[in-house]
This record gives sequence, structure tokens and C-alpha cells, in this order.
Amino acid sequence: MEEYHSGDEVSFSPDEASNVVKECIEGIIGGVDYSQNKVNQWTASIVEHTLTQLVKQGKPFKYIVNCAVMQKSGAGLHTANSCYWDTTTDGSCTVRWENRTMYCVVSVFAVAIAL
Amino acid sequence: MDDDQSAEETAFVVDEVSSIVKESLEAVIGRNTYEHKRVNQWTSGVVEQCLGQLSKLGKPFKYIVTCIIMQKNGAGLQSASSCFWDNTTDGSCTVRWENKHLYCIVSVFGLAI
Repeated sequence: MEEYHSGDEVSFSPDEASNVVKECIEGIIGGVDYSQNKVNQWTASIVEHTLTQLVKQGKPFKYIVNCAVMQKSGAGLHTANSCYWDTTTDGSCTVRWENRTMYCVVSVFAVAIAL
Repeated sequence: MDDDQSAEETAFVVDEVSSIVKESLEAVIGRNTYEHKRVNQWTSGVVEQCLGQLSKLGKPFKYIVTCIIMQKNGAGLQSASSCFWDNTTDGSCTVRWENKHLYCIVSVFGLAI
């Protein structure tokens, strides 16, 4: 088949996803300081943008993109995730980013669609 | 009716999942103060306990559980998620919980197999 390589297991590539995420974050909050008014728009833009770029890759996956932005003020923050899925085909990738005034943690989860 | 029952058994029920999450939070964190050394165990404990309870439901779903714990000290935290899935069968549920010393956000995503 020309369109799709049937017989090839398509698995999630964390490195590729990681690059997509980093570009999105840089593009949206690259050089700005934490602003309570805008943080709402930023998280929404980051997740939507990342999702759009991932879907454009055309792979047979369902995606979940999660983003948390926290002001740097000395507070402790801890995140964890656990997944119940098919480890041969599904995968995730988490990107931790920071600038002078805030931290940003983005997680992408990809779950294979049975064709 | 038989049809309703089988739909209920294979749908993502937000209330059910929400109570599972709240019970796990109460059990693992309860009234503890934020402790840098223990928070690692708490986040792992919460997600594993939630996942264990969810898989016991026996529904045909793959699950993703995420947990964020933040110390209360005035910092702002914003979290968002976006999903590309099948709207008719998949679902999610987010629980915001707090005690006197920390905030906790747990999200559960269920994707139909």
C-alpha cells in the first residue's frame, strides 16, 4: 500500500514530540514574564498548538497534551503520571522548561488507534 | 433495559472516576503538610492507587492518570489539557483538591479500546 505501511508497527517517537513541544513553548512564552492575566491564554495556546502540530504528522494516534505553568516563587511543585495501556504501541513524553519567572511542564500522551 | 446497562458498563462515567480519585487523595495525602522528601511518594501513590481502582472497574479503556502537587505559598499555577480522540467514547475528569498546606490536581483520561 502506498498510503500507509500496513504491517509496520508505528510507535510513538518521544524525541520528535519533544521537539514539537519545545518549539511551541518557545513560540508562546519564550521571552515573557509570568502574568496572571495572560497565563490562561498561554496554557490554552500551548496545548492547542502542540496538538495541531502532532496531528499534522498524520500518525494513527489519539493524543492528550497537558500543560502546567507555575510562577517562580519558591513553592515546591511535583507532578507524576501513570498509564494503563499497550506498552508496545503507546507512549508519552514530558518536557520541563523554565525562564526567569516561571516553570512550564508539558506532557504528551499518545495512544495507538487500532486500525 | 439491557441496552442501557451495557452502555453504562462501557462508558466513561465521570462521577465514578471522580470519587475514586477523591478517595485516593484522602487516603494517600489526607491532612499532611507539604514535605519535600515525601511528596515524591505521594504523587506516585496517588496515581498508582487511582489506576489500580480504575482497572478494577473492568471497562474496556486505556487510562492515563496525572497528578500535580503544589505547596501553598502564594504562587500562581495554571494547568490546561487538550485531547485529540473520539468524542463519543472517550472522556476525562479533573479533580482539584486541597488541604491547609498544599493543592493537588489529578486528571484522569479514559480512551476506549
